[in-house]
Amino acid sequence: MENADVFLGLQDFLERMRQPTAADFVKSIKSFIVSFSNNAPDPERDSAAVQDFFAQMEMDFRAHPLWAGCSEEELDSAGEGLEKYVMTKLFPRVFASVPDDVKLDDQLYEKMALVQQFIRPENLDIKPTFQNETSWLLAQKELQKINMYKAPRDKLVCILNCCKVINNLLLNASVASNENPPGADEFLPVLIYVTLKANPPQLHSNLLYIQRYRRQSRLVGETAYFFTNMLSVESFISNIDAKSISMDETEFEKNMETARALLSGLSTDLDSQYNQSGQYAGYVHRSESMEPRHQPLNANKDSAQPKSSERKSRAKNIPYGAKDNLSFSKIPSLSDLEDKGATILVNDDKASQVFREYPYLFAHVGDLTLNDVEDLLNNYKQLVFKYVCLSKGLGVAAPSLPVSSSQTEFHQHAETAKKQDHSRAIEPNDEVSNDSNRNDGSLEPNDEASNDTNRKDDGSIKEPLIDLDNLQSLLSQDQAVAPQGGKHEESSQ
Amino acid sequence: MGCSASLPDRSSSGRLVGPNSENGGASDAKNLRVKLVLLGDSGVGKSCIVLRFVRGQFDPTSKVTVGASFLSQTIALQDSTTVKFEIWDTAGQERYAALAPLYYRGAAVAVIVYDITSPESFNKAQYWVKELQKHGSPDIVLALVGNKADLHEKREVPVQDGIEYAEKNGMFFIETSAKTADNINQLFEEIAKRLPRPAISSTQNP
Repeated sequence: MENADVFLGLQDFLERMRQPTAADFVKSIKSFIVSFSNNAPDPERDSAAVQDFFAQMEMDFRAHPLWAGCSEEELDSAGEGLEKYVMTKLFPRVFASVPDDVKLDDQLYEKMALVQQFIRPENLDIKPTFQNETSWLLAQKELQKINMYKAPRDKLVCILNCCKVINNLLLNASVASNENPPGADEFLPVLIYVTLKANPPQLHSNLLYIQRYRRQSRLVGETAYFFTNMLSVESFISNIDAKSISMDETEFEKNMETARALLSGLSTDLDSQYNQSGQYAGYVHRSESMEPRHQPLNANKDSAQPKSSERKSRAKNIPYGAKDNLSFSKIPSLSDLEDKGATILVNDDKASQVFREYPYLFAHVGDLTLNDVEDLLNNYKQLVFKYVCLSKGLGVAAPSLPVSSSQTEFHQHAETAKKQDHSRAIEPNDEVSNDSNRNDGSLEPNDEASNDTNRKDDGSIKEPLIDLDNLQSLLSQDQAVAPQGGKHEESSQ
Repeated sequence: MGCSASLPDRSSSGRLVGPNSENGGASDAKNLRVKLVLLGDSGVGKSCIVLRFVRGQFDPTSKVTVGASFLSQTIALQDSTTVKFEIWDTAGQERYAALAPLYYRGAAVAVIVYDITSPESFNKAQYWVKELQKHGSPDIVLALVGNKADLHEKREVPVQDGIEYAEKNGMFFIETSAKTADNINQLFEEIAKRLPRPAISSTQNP
């Protein structure tokens, strides 16, 4: 499994690279990176070269006095540090670097944007006991982080965290309903559903990148299993047709048509819509074009004044936004809903089961320990997500958090709140759903992002912060190596 | 309910062994690391078999199990070798059948499970046997498992059918009950004995 304590080891690795005796390593790393600038991308060859280089360096580390007497863990951390550094540098060169991959990315993205609008958990054999769309948002959120990182391990961790969230939710559901513990029969369908709904851009390229550039000896065991699941999700989604989701052929075609019309209608009308009155006007327009029955909602949504900050919402977010329309139908208002729910709860003798998800609801301050803080925080986040998403679904502005047009943006906003001072750091993330991978921002914003993100949600892995600054200044002459990333990197040194 | 009901069975001859170094991943002649893939219709109890195997030897409170889609367990054999099974579960629903090759690629062992109360699942098991004979690694160890053997009164697949089919295809056959833990450890011990020793390291590459 991915090592949660890798952080300290990486710091240690960077320290070692500063030692005079490490000069040869620094030179090798630099010249290896330089060697890539001379050739056109060739994934097979590049991948083999990187893997060989990592293997060779790891052997050299092992034999070098710098690591004399060190544990396997420390050597492993050194390998991780090397991989993260080298791949962050090579990223602009090797990620989605051939037209075929870019094309497949686009096709997959479009397929998911369409299918996510009408797919139901039943279409994938997800039993009612295990259906929990609200909580699945947490898993979607983990997966959507994948484009915030450049290092293969960090991307892989996003996938693993997504899988862990799903596993935890399935396990909770199985305990609550006295079902057998969940196996792959339960897990894979949910992962497919979550991926469809998350629709992370460039998924195909991300998976290839991990496959090619994650050190092979570390893509084993549980990690390999969950990564394979993600590959199989991609394969399943690419091949989705009427039969594979147990849908009538004509119904499937009709759904795809409707989804297509919705998306294309949006992209043409979008600019004017957004410039005039912000995204809610766009919402109204969309719901009308799709289903007349959404009309009663317009009043509601019009009353929610768009914020100027929302104008930056871009066309690429539409697939998420559009999907949200589906849940709008016939819901009057947030407070009506609340009243209704309260009435149901009062009359429901199984009400206590509902609250099982929130173990701290009846706790007193004295019951809590410091260890509960993480759990509480996770609970809090989950609640906030649910609440804000529900509010958003209704088109009502949530009081204390920015309302946004899509889940993606919503999550980004949540993180933005913590990072107001780092506007530079936010930019690449905001563009996550479009072209962040070709936007070769400096290393720092991404590292800040990895530091700020909520890695510990649901017991998932804590993301190490790597101080590449140190190594970068050591290797300052290699600016020529990454010309595309040059302007940010130079300014940061 | 089901496989998680009763207490661990410690009577097995398989001794609990500490796991290999996580990042090493190397197999040597004495310590094998083996990828095992589980195939079979949904609902036949694939994950229950594994949970029974893994939890039955561990103190159930000592380890938080996060789902049963991937689990690993190490057993020691009498010749003082250890075998660490990395067990890959697969989704058994028909719509996911085409994805199986991604999972059984590089597997040293495939355990094909059916439910003795469901002839349909026995047919599905035969489908998997054929598929693996065609597309699995040439030296893959195949095991055919009739699960839910505790449900005698509902049995629809005679033991003899399982035995004959397995014999014809050169597979190991056993009937198990994940519910009562019957034959669960025997299944994995028997598999461990049948592993081709020197060739194992070549199956480790993902």
